[in-house]
Amino acid sequence: MTDAITASGLVKTFGPKRALDGFDLRVATGEVHGFLGPNGAGKSTTIRVLLGLLRADEGDVSLLGGDPWRDAVTLHRRLAYVPGDVTLWPTLSGGESIDLLGRLRGGIDPRRRADLVERFELDTRIKGRAYSKGNRQKVALVAALAADVELLLMDEPTSGLDPLMEALFQEVVREAAADGRTVLLSSHILAEVEALAQRVTIIRSGKAVLTGSLQELRSLTRTTVTVGLRDATGGEAALAATEGVHDVRHDDGHVTFDVDADALDEVLAALPAHGVSSLVAHPPTLEDLFLRQYGEELAEIKATR
Amino acid sequence: MTATLTAPGGTLAGTRGLVRLALRADRWRIVVWALAVAWLTTVSVSALETVYASDSSRAARADLIASPAATALAGPGYGLDDYTIGAMTANELALWIMLPVGIMAVLAVTRHLRAPEEDGRLELVRSQPVGSAAPVVAGLLAATAAVLAVGGLTFVGLLTTSLDPAGSALMCAAIVVVALVLAGASAVASQLAAHARTASSLGMAAIGVAFVLRAVGDVQGPQSTSVWTWLSPFGWSQATAPYTEDRWWPLLVGLAATAVSVALAFALAGRRDLGTGLLPDRPGREAGRIRGVVGLTWRRQRTAIWSWGFAIVLSGLLVGVLAAQIVDFIADQPAFEELYPGGVGGATASAFALYTVFLAVLAFAYLATAVGAAHQDETAGRAETLLALPLSRTRWLGSQLALATGAAVAMLLVAGLVMGLTAAASLDDPDQVATLVGAAAVTIPGVLVVLGVAVLVLGFAPRAFAVVWAYVAYVGVMAMFGDLLADGADAASPFTYLPALPAEPMSWTPVVVCSLVGLVLVAGGLAGFRRRDLQG
Repeated sequence: MTDAITASGLVKTFGPKRALDGFDLRVATGEVHGFLGPNGAGKSTTIRVLLGLLRADEGDVSLLGGDPWRDAVTLHRRLAYVPGDVTLWPTLSGGESIDLLGRLRGGIDPRRRADLVERFELDTRIKGRAYSKGNRQKVALVAALAADVELLLMDEPTSGLDPLMEALFQEVVREAAADGRTVLLSSHILAEVEALAQRVTIIRSGKAVLTGSLQELRSLTRTTVTVGLRDATGGEAALAATEGVHDVRHDDGHVTFDVDADALDEVLAALPAHGVSSLVAHPPTLEDLFLRQYGEELAEIKATR
Repeated sequence: MTATLTAPGGTLAGTRGLVRLALRADRWRIVVWALAVAWLTTVSVSALETVYASDSSRAARADLIASPAATALAGPGYGLDDYTIGAMTANELALWIMLPVGIMAVLAVTRHLRAPEEDGRLELVRSQPVGSAAPVVAGLLAATAAVLAVGGLTFVGLLTTSLDPAGSALMCAAIVVVALVLAGASAVASQLAAHARTASSLGMAAIGVAFVLRAVGDVQGPQSTSVWTWLSPFGWSQATAPYTEDRWWPLLVGLAATAVSVALAFALAGRRDLGTGLLPDRPGREAGRIRGVVGLTWRRQRTAIWSWGFAIVLSGLLVGVLAAQIVDFIADQPAFEELYPGGVGGATASAFALYTVFLAVLAFAYLATAVGAAHQDETAGRAETLLALPLSRTRWLGSQLALATGAAVAMLLVAGLVMGLTAAASLDDPDQVATLVGAAAVTIPGVLVVLGVAVLVLGFAPRAFAVVWAYVAYVGVMAMFGDLLADGADAASPFTYLPALPAEPMSWTPVVVCSLVGLVLVAGGLAGFRRRDLQG
């Protein structure tokens, strides 16, 4: 499998601020790649470098086998972009904007357009200046998804969409992936990325701090287990003494703890001795991954004070 | 006062904060406007004092200005029998101060009243304890502050001239009052329109209608005797006849109209939902027919192109219609031989050359707005959407530049043709058609130079786009006053080099050199634009 996007050691500075600071990214062809990070971490800067709208100061970047800065026009024939904050032409209706973008791309599939307009329940007659944020977002989504392209670059595409539309968005992205399109989905809505992406990259302060498949990332972190034990006190003591078990709490016959993936065997073997009455295990969520990364940053900040 | 304005629950709640915000946002704008208007007015009056030093030259001027075409652009013609500098200032200059100050007032009101509503800022503000009428007051008070600053500083400037201070006070008060009336009308328009742009267009249309009403009135009945004059706020303010009759009472009409429109705006403001207008917004097309960047640019620029084109062609038309009177006026000058060594023909040619440059500067101003629109698209993020498509930066910017340049050139050529046709009829000289079209055509290299400067700024220093406007203003000032300034001050203006047709003989070298300079600047600017990061 080839890579749709590879970037290594990207640096981009705006005055004194290093928006990208040696950032690496690899997106395989055909995958939905989640791109996570807090506000200001460098997600939009990365996407704008990939679009050839900004030129990286250092580092190598290749997109669909070309140089995004030098080959911008030819590469753009093969990709579509949804910005996070869509600005439309105030006097053009939504339908006119969609068709304009389609024509500039070299044609739009009228059936696909009509289908998407209907599914997103978009009133195409409203002028750009009168659309709400969510509706402006829908205009950009329809224009991008109606295009026949290999790669979709989406920068927080669902900001402003209601939960129903958010669900529909997930559906159309899955369809696009099923058609074999590659999707780079930047977001800070973790559930969305978790539902769609095979692999994720987490960016913080312009650096990729974690990257891999969701499965790999999950194995890096801990499962939270809540277990009802007849001998809760004894269980708690035993668990607290086990290596790889953390943060053991005891509450009214239930013991809750976090356990490293490689300690699960040992823990599960030890539990029956204390009489298991109920068991709930939460897989680690992206939220946990994210907060853990973020928590370290907070800890660093505290430490430097 | 403070207590009522900040009283919780009232429609005026929170006004003080909004007014302070508006004045803070506008403080530099107000200073620049006041200085510019005061300076230009004072300089113009001083110029009139120098040029029309003798009684006979002023009498000749009075004859020229009494013609219908000139009256339409001047005023009701008070004091024409004894045409003092004061009478001349009130009759010919005052209208041209009222017009920009009125536009300033209209834009100030919509800027504080509707624009924040459109981009959602007002929603945040109104969720605080702020009443529905507070933004109306903020907009009106910001406009009033600007108008008073302009009027006050202009009065101070006029104290340095020979004009009677009492007359100057009245004229400045008349300027203030007409601007207040238009601000009130703009506040009403802001309640009717669904969008900020529609609101300011309605305000501009109101200015246009008021201008036409007074033009019709003044042509029909001199000295404010026509009913039409009294339908226009300009008519009321001009009926004060500063420096001649010195009447203050017509200003009461304007103040009363302001009070009525402000009351109406308050009443409408309480009746309207946030973010909507009382007039519905028309829905747009379901599907689009726009093809390419040129089509998009035309769609977005066409109103500007038609309005600027209309203004430029109309100016050319008036010069042509007045040609015979201009020639008579020049020939009647007592100091004619000293002033115009080239004879009547030469003097007339100089006048036409100057008017043509004036038309060209208007076309440059249009060009600056058009390139500025591309710049705004970039900062607003619309350029990003387009440039993520298979569309090169050169094509995106180049298409817009081509359309804007074509429009500016077309405006100039049509204005030259119309000026030539009407001058030919007025002077009974068919050669004027070719002469004046040629005069307009020879300013085209100037269009390229201004375009080049604009693209260069856009390509290398987009944040400093105001430089483009400064350059257009510089070219305009140099064309009018360049002779009076130090040698070399006009070195950067294309008109310093281009032949001033029809006053000077045609010379190809500067035409070719200026065109090449313009094209090189455009190419350099485009190269810079291709190389730099997109803003936004």
